Amino acid sequence: MRPFAYQRATDVPSAVAAGTGQAMYLGGGTNLVDLMRLGVATPEVLVDVTRVPFDTIEETPGGGLLIGAGVRNSDLAAHPLVLRNYPMLAQAVVAGGSGQIRNMATVAGNLLQRTRCSYFQDITKPCNKRVPGSGCPAREGDHRNLAILGHSEACVATHPSDMAVPLAALGAVVNVESSGGPRAIPMPGFHRLPGDAPERDTLLRPGDLVTAVELPALPFAARSRYRKVRDRASFAFAVVSVAAALDVADGVVRDCRIALGGVAHVPWRAERAEAALRGAPATAEEFARAAEAELAQASPLPRNAFKVPLARNVLVRTLLDLTAREDLTAAGDTGETS
Amino acid sequence: MTSIQTEPRSGSRSGVGASVPRPDGTLKVTGEFAYSSDLWLDGMLWGATLRSPHPSAWIRSIDIGPALAMPGVFAVLTHEDVPGEKFYGLEHRDQPVLAVDQVRYQGEPVALVAADHPETARRAAAAIIVAYEPREAVVDPRRAAFDPSCPPVHPHGNLVRHQPVRVGDRFQAEVVVTGEYEVGMQDQAFLGPESGLAVPAEDGGVDLFIATQWLHVDQDQVAPCLGLPKEKVRLSLAGVGGAFGAREDLSMQIHASMLALRTGRPVKIVYGREESFFGHVHRHPAWMRYEHGATADGRLVYVRAEILLDGGAYCSTSRAVVGNAASLGVGPYEVDNVRIDAYGVYTNNPPCGAMRGFGAVQACYAYESQMDRLAEACGLSPVEIRIRNAVSQGSRLATGQVVDSPAPLAGMLRELAAMPLPGSTVTRRSITEPSSAKPSSAEPVPDLRSLPGGVSQTTHGEGVRRGVGYGVGIKNICFSEGFDDYSTARVRVELLGGEPHVLVHTAAAEVGQGLITVKAQIARTELGIDKVTVAPADTSVGSAGSSSASRQSYVTGGAVKAACEAVRERLDSLRAGDPELGLVELLERFGPVEETREYRHRPTFPMDPVTGQGDSHTQLALCVHRAVVDVDVELGLVKVVELAAVQDVGRILNPVALEGQIHGGTAQGLGLALMEEIQVRDGRVLNPSFTDYLIPTILDMPPMRLSILENPDPHAPYGLRGAGEPPTLSSTPAVAAAVRAATGLELPRVPIRPEDIALAAPS
Repeated sequence: MRPFAYQRATDVPSAVAAGTGQAMYLGGGTNLVDLMRLGVATPEVLVDVTRVPFDTIEETPGGGLLIGAGVRNSDLAAHPLVLRNYPMLAQAVVAGGSGQIRNMATVAGNLLQRTRCSYFQDITKPCNKRVPGSGCPAREGDHRNLAILGHSEACVATHPSDMAVPLAALGAVVNVESSGGPRAIPMPGFHRLPGDAPERDTLLRPGDLVTAVELPALPFAARSRYRKVRDRASFAFAVVSVAAALDVADGVVRDCRIALGGVAHVPWRAERAEAALRGAPATAEEFARAAEAELAQASPLPRNAFKVPLARNVLVRTLLDLTAREDLTAAGDTGETS
Repeated sequence: MTSIQTEPRSGSRSGVGASVPRPDGTLKVTGEFAYSSDLWLDGMLWGATLRSPHPSAWIRSIDIGPALAMPGVFAVLTHEDVPGEKFYGLEHRDQPVLAVDQVRYQGEPVALVAADHPETARRAAAAIIVAYEPREAVVDPRRAAFDPSCPPVHPHGNLVRHQPVRVGDRFQAEVVVTGEYEVGMQDQAFLGPESGLAVPAEDGGVDLFIATQWLHVDQDQVAPCLGLPKEKVRLSLAGVGGAFGAREDLSMQIHASMLALRTGRPVKIVYGREESFFGHVHRHPAWMRYEHGATADGRLVYVRAEILLDGGAYCSTSRAVVGNAASLGVGPYEVDNVRIDAYGVYTNNPPCGAMRGFGAVQACYAYESQMDRLAEACGLSPVEIRIRNAVSQGSRLATGQVVDSPAPLAGMLRELAAMPLPGSTVTRRSITEPSSAKPSSAEPVPDLRSLPGGVSQTTHGEGVRRGVGYGVGIKNICFSEGFDDYSTARVRVELLGGEPHVLVHTAAAEVGQGLITVKAQIARTELGIDKVTVAPADTSVGSAGSSSASRQSYVTGGAVKAACEAVRERLDSLRAGDPELGLVELLERFGPVEETREYRHRPTFPMDPVTGQGDSHTQLALCVHRAVVDVDVELGLVKVVELAAVQDVGRILNPVALEGQIHGGTAQGLGLALMEEIQVRDGRVLNPSFTDYLIPTILDMPPMRLSILENPDPHAPYGLRGAGEPPTLSSTPAVAAAVRAATGLELPRVPIRPEDIALAAPS
C-alpha cells in the first residue's frame, strides 16, 4: 500500500476544501481500503467524511425521502419509511454484504463501489479502467461475471452495487457539492457507460462530494421487489438482479419501474421493458415480451451468455410475483436474516 | 490386564463413549481462545514476507538496501542468509526456504523483514527491489505430464509420480459407460491464518510456538535449514484455527526462526487472509477419464481410468496423493479387471498437497458419477447398482489388498435408502398467471430460506425441481504405503492434593477435532481416575505423527491407551505384595508412576510401481450419503434440502465430537460440489479472499440425518475407525448426483455453478 495522508472533515465545506488533487473521500472504507491494499486505488490524501453530519433520513415536502450520504446501509435498510414506501430498496441493501459490512458502508460509498472485474483488481494485468489505454483482457478472457449490456470495446465491467439498482429504478437524484457549488444528478445517468473512457464510473469530477440521495415520491413503489441471483445463499455479489415496482389496475399495467443489476457498467434502467409494459395486460406473456424487448439489445460474450436468459427469467418472475402476492409491503419481508 | 477394556474401571461417566464437552468450545464461541495469531512477547519484532508476483521467473538480483535503510527495520534476509540447508519439503526437499535464482509460483517467498511494527515490516518488504526476468509459466498439467517439449519446472522433469494399477485382462463387457470429469482446486479455508512466534534461546537455539499439524515433522525440516541440531529447535503447539491439511507443509516456521536468530529478539509472523491463500497448499485439481464395463445386470467387469492431478510448483505430498487416487480409484466396489494410471505433475500453478480426503476425494467424484451412469445404462436404481458391486469383509481391492475388517456397505446403502425423505418445501402453487386472490389460508407458506436462492427470494416454488442422489466413498485411515506411522504418549499418575491425578502428554496437534478431550476420555477409561490433565503438545515428548489422515484417535489414542495400560501394570505389580492397598496409599508409598509408550498400527507396504499391487493401507473407512436438492432450473440455483449419511466408525469415542466431524466433512464436500474453487489464470490466483472464494454459509448447509454404525475393527484400539475424512468424499458426488437427477444434465465438473445448470434443463 502506498503511504497516504489522512485528514478528517467535520462539515461539507471543509470536506470539499480538502478534497482536491489526488484526494479521495473515505466513508465506511469497505471497498476503498481493499482497493488501496491491492494497489488499485492510490490516493495521496484520504479525507474521512464519516464525521460530516449528513447521516439523516428525512421526508421531503413532496413526499419523497432525502437520504444523507453518510447514512450507514444498515440504518437505511431499517428505516420505517424506506420499508414502507420503497421495500425494494430495503431488500436490495439487505441483500448486499454482511451485517458487519452494512454497519460500516455508507450510501455514497455504496453508489461509488468499483467493479469486481478480476483484471481491474489485478495490478499486474492491463485494464482500461485502472490504466486508461492499457487494454482489456476480459473480453477474450474471464468475463463470466461481466456485462451483457452497454459495454464497449474498452471495458466490459459491471457495477457491483445492489442498492444502486432500485435507486436507478426509482429515478433517485444524487446531490453533489463541489468548489463550484452544488448540483443534482439524476439516476440513471449518474453512472456512465464505459464508452472509450471506462476509468470514469460516474459523472462526478475530482473534488465532488456526494452529500445526499433524494428519492421522489412514487406511491406505487410501495409494491416493489428486489431479487438477486448469486453463487451462494448469502454474502455474495449479484450474478444478475432485478428491482421492480409495478402499478396494476384492472389487470393492466398503469406504470412500472424496472432496473437490472449485474449486467452492465451501470445499474441498468430497463426503459424498453417499461415502455413495453405500460398499458399492457399484466400477464406472463406480456412480462416475457417486455423482458425480451429489453434484452434484445444485449451483446453477451461467450462465457456470460447465460446471463441473458437468466435476466429474462428473474425479471419475469419478479413481475409475476408483484402481481400475484399482496403481502409485499410487510415490513418484515426484507429477506436476509443476518 | 492388556485385554481391550472399554468400560471405565470405576464407572467414570467421562470416559470413552461419553459426550464430554471440549475445553476450547466455549472459549472459541466467546472469542477468548488464544490462537497462534494472538501470541505476544514484550519487545518482539514482526516479520513480513516478500513474495513473487510471477508464477515463473528468473531472479537476476535482489537489492535489500532500501528496506534496510528504513527506520524500525532490524533485519532483511534472502536465500543467502539461510544458515543451513536451503531446501525443505515433506516428501521431497525441493522447496527453497527463500527463492534462490528463480521463482516457480505466484506468492513464493523471496525475502524476509523483521521490524518493530507490522506495517513497517510490510512496507520494508515492499521496498526490496527484485529484478525478475519472467519466463514461460507451465500452467497446463496435461502438457506437463505428456508433452516432452514442455519446459521442465524442475531439472528432473515435470512428472512427480505415475502410479499404475493393473489387475486382470478382460476389458470387454456388455455395458460400457465412459466419462470425463473435472474437479476444481479447493482450499482448506481454515479461519486462523498461518502464524507463530519464534523466540531465540540462550543455547543458540530457538523456541517456536506454532499452529501446525505435526510438530516433529516441522522440527525435522526447520532444524537442518537453521543449521541447528534438532534438540536446539523446540516446538510448542499454539492455538490452531483449523487445518484440514493446509498446515502439513511449513509456512513461516523457518522464516520466523531465521529472523529471531539473526536479531536476537522474538519474532512474530502472522499472515493476512490474502497472504494465507499463498501461504499453504490446496487440494489438487483433477482431470479424470473413466470407462466402466459391466454385465447387463449391472455387475462390474472392468474399470479403466486415467487420473491427472496438478501438484503445482513443489512436490509437497503429491506422491502420496497420487498413491491414494490410484489405490482407491475404483471405490468400494468389487471388480476383477482394473487398469488405472494416476499422474501427479509439477506446473507453475499454486502448489497443491494435503486436504481432507487426500486424493480419494477427486477419484470418488468420478467413480460415483460413473456408477450413476452405469445404473442408468443397466436400468437399475443408483442404490441397487452400488449394492450389487459393494465390497464387504473379505473382498479383494484392485491393489490385491483384502478388506479384513467389517465393511457392511450394502447394509449401509439399504439403511440410507430406507430413511424417510424430507417433505416438499415447495407448495407447487402455480403463479404462471397473476392472480389477485390472496393465498388461501389453508395453503402452507414455504419458508423461503428452504428454497433455492434462499433469502434472495428468487423463487416461491416456481421452476423448482427436486432431485435425490447417492454417493459412496472409501478412505484409507492413517499413513499408507510403508510409512513408519506411530505416536508416543507419556502418562503419569500422581497425587495432587491427596487425590489421584493423571497427566497425559503427547505431541499430537489439537487442530479443532477434539483430540484433547478424547485423550482424557481414554485415560479415564483405562485408569478409572476422573481427574485428568492433558499437557500442552510440544517436542519434549516423542512424535505423535500428523493430525491428518483421520489418524489421531487411532494412533495417538492407541499410544495413550498403551501408556495407561503400562501404568496400570506398574501399579498392579507395586500392589502385588499387598492386594488390599488402595490407589492413594499406593501412590503415597511409592510416589508417582509414569510410563511412555509408542504405538504403531500394523505395517503397510508400498504399491508395486508397475502393477500397483500391495497391502498399502492399514484401515479403510466407509461413508455413504444421500443428498436431496431443490434446483431452480430457470435460475440455476441449488438448495440442498437434506444430507443424510451412514458411516461406520467401529466405535464411538465421543458422540458429539463425532457428529461435528461428520457435519463438517459433509459441509466441505458440499462446498466442493457447489461453490468452492480457487480460480487460477495463467498461474495467478484470482480470488484470494473470503469475498471471492465462496465457502458454504449456515444458509447453504442443510440439516443432516445421521446413522452411525459401530462394527469394530479388531486391529484398532477400541475397534475404532478414523472418521474425519470419509464424509468429505461422499457428500460431493451425492450432491452432484442429486442436481443431475433434478435437471437431467451431465454436470461433469465440480463445483457446479448456476450457468452449468444452463437455464436449459429439459422440461
